[in-house]
Amino acid sequence: MDESSTPTLGERVRRAQRGDEAALRELIVSYQHRIAGFTYAITGRSDSVEDIVQMVFVKMARAIERLKAPEQFESWLFRLARNTCIDYLRRQRLRKMFVPFAPEHENVAEPEGAVDAEELDALRHALAQLRPKDRALIALVQEGRSHAEIADTLRTSVAAVKARLHRAREQLRQFYYSDEN
Amino acid sequence: MKTEELAWKRLHEHAAAQLSPGFADRVLRKAREASSPLLVSHFAMCAATAALCLVAVALYNAGSSSDEAAQSLAGWSEIAAQAGDLESGQ
Repeated sequence: MDESSTPTLGERVRRAQRGDEAALRELIVSYQHRIAGFTYAITGRSDSVEDIVQMVFVKMARAIERLKAPEQFESWLFRLARNTCIDYLRRQRLRKMFVPFAPEHENVAEPEGAVDAEELDALRHALAQLRPKDRALIALVQEGRSHAEIADTLRTSVAAVKARLHRAREQLRQFYYSDEN
Repeated sequence: MKTEELAWKRLHEHAAAQLSPGFADRVLRKAREASSPLLVSHFAMCAATAALCLVAVALYNAGSSSDEAAQSLAGWSEIAAQAGDLESGQ
């Protein structure tokens, strides 16, 4: 397939907005793994990843018609994912307040065999020490997004992104390398 | 590759592996389900709640209006009786 026939992201989004289900499917397939990685970095739970990612894409499918700037699809999608993950974590915290768990049910570890690499385990534990919003920020950087794109996703300034990112990275390194040792 | 870079790579691989086959199709199916029946039932519930509230307000008003009317009537009857007593006493 030559490059001229490959639809741009904007074109695919516009087709999805017009109700083209094949275009919507293409968008899901293109982004599902990236959103899964992003979700896992924020929530730290393997068993919730599929449910949360599904929520994100169902919301995307229902709201895509209202997206005014199709070229901003990625920023919009990651903003949706970030908010969905943070809402999910907030609900989990509220649930813990109202449903008394026995001590053995608090801070449940990943299911056996779920995490099979030391490096991943160390990173997961280090990420768990950060606030969810800081995890989301670092996860956006890992997605290869620029400071300007992250500022657009989070609806804040580039200066604010740089300052928060610097602090979050320092904290992450501190926890990651102390955990590794 | 640095340890941290490798860790991120593993994180993404692990997360991607959590999505079972046919994920996109399941999402599309759920999105289709979510858009119509849920909306209809949402509106139906809102309409039913509004109707119930109206009925409750109407019933309360009807009840309290008739009580008030009876009390007013009793009050006026008493005043009329007292006026009658005063006149006959003069």
